Formats: sequence, structure tokens, C-alpha cells
Amino acid sequence: MQISEEMIREIALQVIKEMEHADAPQEAAKAARLVFKEVGVAPKHTNNDEVVIAICPAFGVYQDATITGVLHVEVLRELIAGVEEEGLKARVIRVLKTSDVAFAAHDAAKLSGSGIGIGIQSRGTTVIHQKDLAPLSNLELFPQAPLLTLETYRAIGKNAAKYAKGEHPNPVPVQNDQMARPKYQAIAAVLHIKETEHVKPGTKSVELSVSFK
Amino acid sequence: MKRSKRFEVLDERPVNQDGFIQEWPEVGLIAMENPNDPKPSIQIKDGKVCELDGKKREDFDMIDQFIADYYIDPTVAEEAMAISDQAAAKMLCDVNCPRETIVRLVKGFTPAKVVAIFNQMNVVEMMMALQKMRARKTPSNQCHITNVADNPVLIAADGAEAAFRGFDEMETTVGVVRYAPFNALALQVGGQVGRGGVLIQCALEEATELLLGMRGITAYAETISVYGTEQVFTDGDDTPWSKAFLASAYASRGLKMRFTSGTGSEVQMGYAEGKSMLYLEIRCIMLTKGAGVQGLQNGSISCIGVPAAVPSGIRAVLAENLFTTMADLEVASGNDQTFSHSPIRRCARTMMQFLPGTDFIFSGYSGVPNYDNMFAGSNFDVDDYDDYLVLQRDLMVDGGLRPVTEEEVIAIRNKAARALQAVFKELGFPEITEEEVEAATYAHGSKDMPHRNVVEDLKAAQDMLKRGITGVDVVRALAKNGFTDVAENVLGMLRQRVSGDYLHTSSIVDKDFNVISAVNDRNDYQGPGTGYRLNKERWDEIKNIGSALSPDYFDRGKGC
Amino acid sequence: MIQEQMIEDIVRQVLQDVTAQKGTEKGKNQAEEVKMVEIQDTPAPKSNKNNLDYKKDYPLASQRPELVQTPTGKTLKDIKLESVLNDKLKAEDLRISESTLELQAQIAESVGRQQLANNLRRASELIAIPDDRILEIYNAMRPYRSTKEELLDIADELEQKYSAQINANFIREAAEVYERRNRLRTD
Repeated sequence: MQISEEMIREIALQVIKEMEHADAPQEAAKAARLVFKEVGVAPKHTNNDEVVIAICPAFGVYQDATITGVLHVEVLRELIAGVEEEGLKARVIRVLKTSDVAFAAHDAAKLSGSGIGIGIQSRGTTVIHQKDLAPLSNLELFPQAPLLTLETYRAIGKNAAKYAKGEHPNPVPVQNDQMARPKYQAIAAVLHIKETEHVKPGTKSVELSVSFK
Repeated sequence: MKRSKRFEVLDERPVNQDGFIQEWPEVGLIAMENPNDPKPSIQIKDGKVCELDGKKREDFDMIDQFIADYYIDPTVAEEAMAISDQAAAKMLCDVNCPRETIVRLVKGFTPAKVVAIFNQMNVVEMMMALQKMRARKTPSNQCHITNVADNPVLIAADGAEAAFRGFDEMETTVGVVRYAPFNALALQVGGQVGRGGVLIQCALEEATELLLGMRGITAYAETISVYGTEQVFTDGDDTPWSKAFLASAYASRGLKMRFTSGTGSEVQMGYAEGKSMLYLEIRCIMLTKGAGVQGLQNGSISCIGVPAAVPSGIRAVLAENLFTTMADLEVASGNDQTFSHSPIRRCARTMMQFLPGTDFIFSGYSGVPNYDNMFAGSNFDVDDYDDYLVLQRDLMVDGGLRPVTEEEVIAIRNKAARALQAVFKELGFPEITEEEVEAATYAHGSKDMPHRNVVEDLKAAQDMLKRGITGVDVVRALAKNGFTDVAENVLGMLRQRVSGDYLHTSSIVDKDFNVISAVNDRNDYQGPGTGYRLNKERWDEIKNIGSALSPDYFDRGKGC
Repeated sequence: MIQEQMIEDIVRQVLQDVTAQKGTEKGKNQAEEVKMVEIQDTPAPKSNKNNLDYKKDYPLASQRPELVQTPTGKTLKDIKLESVLNDKLKAEDLRISESTLELQAQIAESVGRQQLANNLRRASELIAIPDDRILEIYNAMRPYRSTKEELLDIADELEQKYSAQINANFIREAAEVYERRNRLRTD
């Protein structure tokens, strides 16, 4: 088969177009173990025995693991388990209007009956937030996603629940690695861009029914 | 696959710990030469810019409008834009074309024009240009002084040593925000022990940073961030107008300040509008100039991992430093963040600024061990001091540092710790013990320091703000306790804000409190034999590293 | 998936080559245009005979100390250790004055730095405004913080209470821009 430059150009254009739409369902197929059912616009609750977990637009759908390959299904399971360990309920929502973890967590906190929310990006960056704080402030911030393990995520869920109960827990200990930047910063940027592509400005967060298969 | 032993060894090399990534131009993950970058264009009507890089005035975003109205000089724009990219690039590295000629034309360039010019240049040509375009004739250097414990005694000692080693500016920040007043105070006292006239800052959130400056505890500010897309600028909670107002607020209190920006920040935050990192950074530099700020810290800074991961990224970082100087601004040129596991890469990246020289080659050489660096580590730290001194000596380059002896450093650290001890006592702050003074004198880092009572310190640090302690109180406390020379130096810094001489471009203050800036020390480089040259005294200083043996050493009875 | 990957790689490569080639062609055209640009001297700044000149008047501290006074009327000579120790010198005496900033603006202009001069002049208008109010105004100018009315009120306050004409106009301009770009507070 003869391939002319003309042809390649045509294919190129087409592929670029396809790439814009095609990657979603295929990547989602990989995350088969995590099943989300959308159950409408996420409501604001008044019962103070819950923590709301806001996942960012691509979490578990267009991406299925954090920056170091920890599976989203496991991450979410640990966050929920951490909350439940303290005797509280975890409610999961998907934020669509932003991919900024601070704003996502703040949205969760505002909808949460306890006023406490957790926000998590697909790459793994996590924040515990409280509804009365300014959006760019937080209760606890875990900016170095590459250093977050499943144990950390469980501890984050637990601490969030403790704040919800009005306690003052010790912050979850975090490691600090100066060499995380040279290794991961650019990859983190790519993952964030890919997440941001799925942002739908002005869209309300949706409530999810989550099942693990 | 059976592994090749050679490849196995290569896999273990530090450079393969670094993250690399292919370009993705559509989202702006590309350093330069993005086919999606706007094409250069300008239209002026009735003295007003009505089209900029293909965009009509009615479509301008906030940054476009600010650049059009406050940066571009409509009287030279058409002339400047008519010069071909290659001709402009040639002027930049032509030693016969004086700096002033370029500075005038640059006022008429659009962001896309600047990128088009840089796309023509390789790094050697850019370094040639940087050598000529740097605003201040004499190059200099800045350091970071921090520690994980926010231990004030150690900050004073480290500040003294760093000032003594030759840094003209020093920057601190905090682990715990409430420690800020103590960190700033400790660095001010320690710095003025090391060398009178050294400038200090404390990187904090905008309002507190300004407050410490107003109180006379710090001398300048730098962490005033700007971004190249409207979305990211807004996410950073500012606009070009609010930042320009902040700049004037600093000047109204007689305080030096510069903005901060850097390639990669927009793509890192997910809104690069599909433009190259360099294009967006040129917009930052132009709006800094438009705001009337004297200088800029750039060179990617905290986003260095992003340009460093893509092809030609370190070249783009050099280009952003270069354009800052072309815009006739002071440049504090980065090299201030961990960026690679590889010592070879770390050194090569720094040579881009070290060889031509900039106003501040590092905007934070770590004057502490990197484990104590609260800016997440710098490209060079205290353990690299001797390597750096040898680089100066090998290449006959003035990188701003000088060789020192162990005896001198021990003495100066001790004096700084004692001076702070006296100030703390006089102002009623928690005691600094003899044990702490001793430990700070000989310490490598915070691991060698006894623990302080953090709760008491934080209470006293807040108290310092509440009581409204100012630089004048510090001067008095020093003088009362016999540190007259240090008191004179701190007062000398306060005097600077009255005359305002150091508000000008690229200012540093020498040991006799003379301001040296791009007003009275203008870069006049025009090729070999011109511009900054090491004088004999300075060259003798650089040559004389402690480890170089005298030939006499080998004479019978003198050493061996 | 693998096929798509392969095609994607090939296409990327081709696109890169195509772009590179375009670049070369462009370069060729420009090479023909290259001509030596005549070197011109910096135009002399609009000269006003009374204005300061960087060549003879800078630094003010050493060249023209007699022109420098603090808002409280102290001169540079008054700033000495002895005066601190006998309480003759207070923190309020260590501030820059409106007239000094104007002189520094003239220096900046004489060295061709118009924007820096403009900033120093804006700054000279802000000296009289208390620290807290300065910080409040700065916060009000941040995105989504103020309505247009609120910004215009600040502008009026600056103009009427502090005669800060340049800053007042600057904030009025910000109000217009924020409105056009949807950066005002919408309650």
C-alpha cells in the first residue's frame, strides 16, 4: 500500500478528531471494578453524621489510577472505609464544574451535612475541607500525590470523619520528598490536563451510587 | 527479554529518575515553537493598540489589554514589528549593537514577535545576548535561608555565613506560618552581622509579607506571582490591576519589590490555552514591565519540572530570563528549585545563567542543606559551595561568591547567634541558651540543633506583631547590648527606605550602604574588553580557594 | 488500540516533520529580508530643565541628600544611632515622602524607564493612606470581590479624601475591565 503525505495528512486530521472523543470509553473499560450510577443532582444534607467525598471529573471513568498507579477503586474504598471506621457515612459525588481539588473539596463540604468534605483528583491529590473556610484554604492538604499510599487515604477518611464529629485530630503525617518534583511534576501536569478536559463549566455536582465489583 | 548489563547500569543512573514527556502542543505542553502560538501582528489607531497578535481590541482578555495599554509603546511598535525575526535575533547577539538600541525596540514588540525571534536562536546566542542585556553591570547572587524547625538561632547563623560568603540578597520562608516574624527578624539580624547592606525578604502570603516590610523587619519582597492566561491569573486570586496596585503599595512604603512568574505554571494549572510555555511567560514579563515593577524573578521557578521534562525546555527557561533583561527589568534568574536527580543536568542548567551573569544568578541558592530548604530544595546547596567556587575559578567567572576560611565562618556564625540572643532577651522573647548559640555556631543543619519550645516561640512571635515591634526597636536592642556595629547596619537598611534609591532597577546595597543599580552601574557590554570584567582584587579573591596548594608547599621542610 | 497507537505515533512524527519543514521555509524567506538595522541612540527623554538626571543626581543619598526629607521633616543626617537611643527617632520617621518618590520618578524617566516612573508616582499618592486601608483596597481589587459600584466608590474616596487622582482613574479603569471580562462580584 502506497502512503502519500496527502493520505497521512487526511488520516492525521481524522485521528486527531477521533482522539478527542475516542479515549473515554476504552479507558473506562479498564476500570470495570468500580461501578458508578448517577442518581441526579447532589443535594445538600442536614444530617451531621456524614462526610461527602467529591471525586474530580475523570476519576474512575476516564482515568483509573493515581500518578503512582494506585487504582482508583482501591483509593475510594479506603477513603470510605476510613470514614465508616469512625461510625459515619460517606456520600460520594462527582464534581463537574472544576478540576481544582480545593474547589471540589469545598463543594463537597458545602453539600455535606457535617460541613466536612474530601476532594480528590484522578492523579491522587487530596484535600479535607470545611464549608466555612475560604476555597483556597483547607483543614488538611495532601499536595504531593506520588507520596500518598492506601494507608494514607484510609487515614484521610478517618480524620475527615473526626473533624465531622467535632474532634481535633492530629493531621495525617505526610512525607516530603524534594525529588518528587523532577520525577513527577510534568506527569502530574499531563494528568491534570486530561482531567480538566472533562470539566463542564456551570454544571452541578452529581450524586453517585458506588458499587465495587 | 534478556537484559543487557549495560542498559541495566544506565537504568540506574540518576538521570533516569527524572520524568520526561513528549510534547503535546494542543494543550500547551510544549516549551517553544508551538504551531498553535499566535502569529505576530500589531495595529495602532490614534495612538492606541487596536490589534495584538491577531486579536482585535474588543476580544482582548485582561492580560492583552494590560499589555496593549501599559507595555507597548505605540511610537516604536510599527518600526519594531517591521524588523524580521532573524534580523532582530542577530541584533541581540551582535556585540556592535548596543543594549540601548534593543531596549528601545523591545518596547514595540508583541509577545508572539518575541517568541518568533527566540525560535531563531540557540542557547549560546541567547547567552551572548544575556551577557549584553542584563541591566546591572555587576552580576550578583541570592540565597535561601530556612530550616525545617523554623529555628531562629540557626537562621541568624546561616544568614550571617551566607552574607559573609557573598550573597547580596537572602530569602527566608516558614514551615509554620506563625513563625514568620521570628524568621524575618533572625535573618535581618544575622544578615547584618555577616555583611552590612545585605537585603532580606520573607516569602509569605501577600498581606503579611507587606506588613513585615512596613514594620522595617524585611527590606524587600519577591513572591508576588503573575500568570500568562486570564483563567490562571484569576485562579491565583488576582488581576493585572490588583497586582499593579500592590506594586505601588510597596513603593509607597519605600520597599523594593519584584514580581515572580515562570514557564510551565499555566499548563501545570490546566489552562494554557494551547499556547507554548514561552509565549505565556513573555506575556507575564510584559505585564510586569507595564505595572512599573523594577524586576522579576523567573526561570520557571517552582514549575521547573514541567519545562525540564519537554524538549528544549531549559532553552526556553534561558529565553525567559533573556527577555526579562531585554524589557530592561532586573532578573532573579531561578536555579532555585530541585529540578533533576542528575548532577550533570543540574550543573548544565545553571551554566546558562552563570556564564553570562545575571542580576541574581540564583533566586535562591540554598544557603542551608537542602533537607532544611523550605522552598522544597534548590538546585545547589551548602554542600556544593566548594564546587561552585571551583567553577568560578576554572572559568574565571564572577558567580557572586568568595572563598572563606573555617575560622572566619565559625566566628561570624557565633556573633550572629549571640546578637540574636541579645535581641530576644531585650525584647522579652523566649531565651536563647548558651547551648543553642554553641550548636548554631558549629551546625551543618537543623539536625544539629537542640529543640526549642515551639509553643512559647509562636506565642512570642505573634506578640511581636501585636506589640508593633519595628526595625527601630531592633536597632535599639542591639546597641544596648554592645552590638553597635550590627545596630548601625540595621539602621542603615532602614535609611534606605527613606531615600528610595534602591527602588530602582537591579538594586543591591554594598557594605558601605551605597546603592549599586542599573542606574549608576549600567551594563555597557559591547564585546571583548567591555562590560563587567573581574578586577584584580576580585580575581585574586576567586583564585584563592583553600584547597589550592602553594608550590612552596613541596619544598623540603615546609609540608610534605 | 495498538493500531491506533501506531497511527498516532506515525501521525505525530509526520506532523512534526511537516511543521519543521514549514519552519525552514519560513526561515529561508526571512533570511532574504535580513538587513542591518541602523543603530540609533536612545532618544533623549522629554527634558524638563528642573527634572533630576540620573547621571548627576543619583543616588540621591550621596548626590542630592539635601533634597531628601521624611514626611515628618527629618533629613538623612538625622537618621543616626544616637537619635534612636535617646528616642528622638521613631519608626514613623523612617518613611519615604511624596516628594522623594517624585524625585525618584524623575530619575527613572531620565534613564528611560517610563513605567517605573509611573508606578513611583502612583505610589507617592498612596503614602498618606493608612496601612490597613491600603490592604483593604488591594483585596477589593482582587477578582470577584467587588461590584462595579464598590470599585467606583473606592475611586471616589481616593480622589476626594487623598487627592489620589492617578490611582482613582486606575481603579475606574479596572472596574470597566472587570465588567467586560466578568470579574465583578455577582451576589
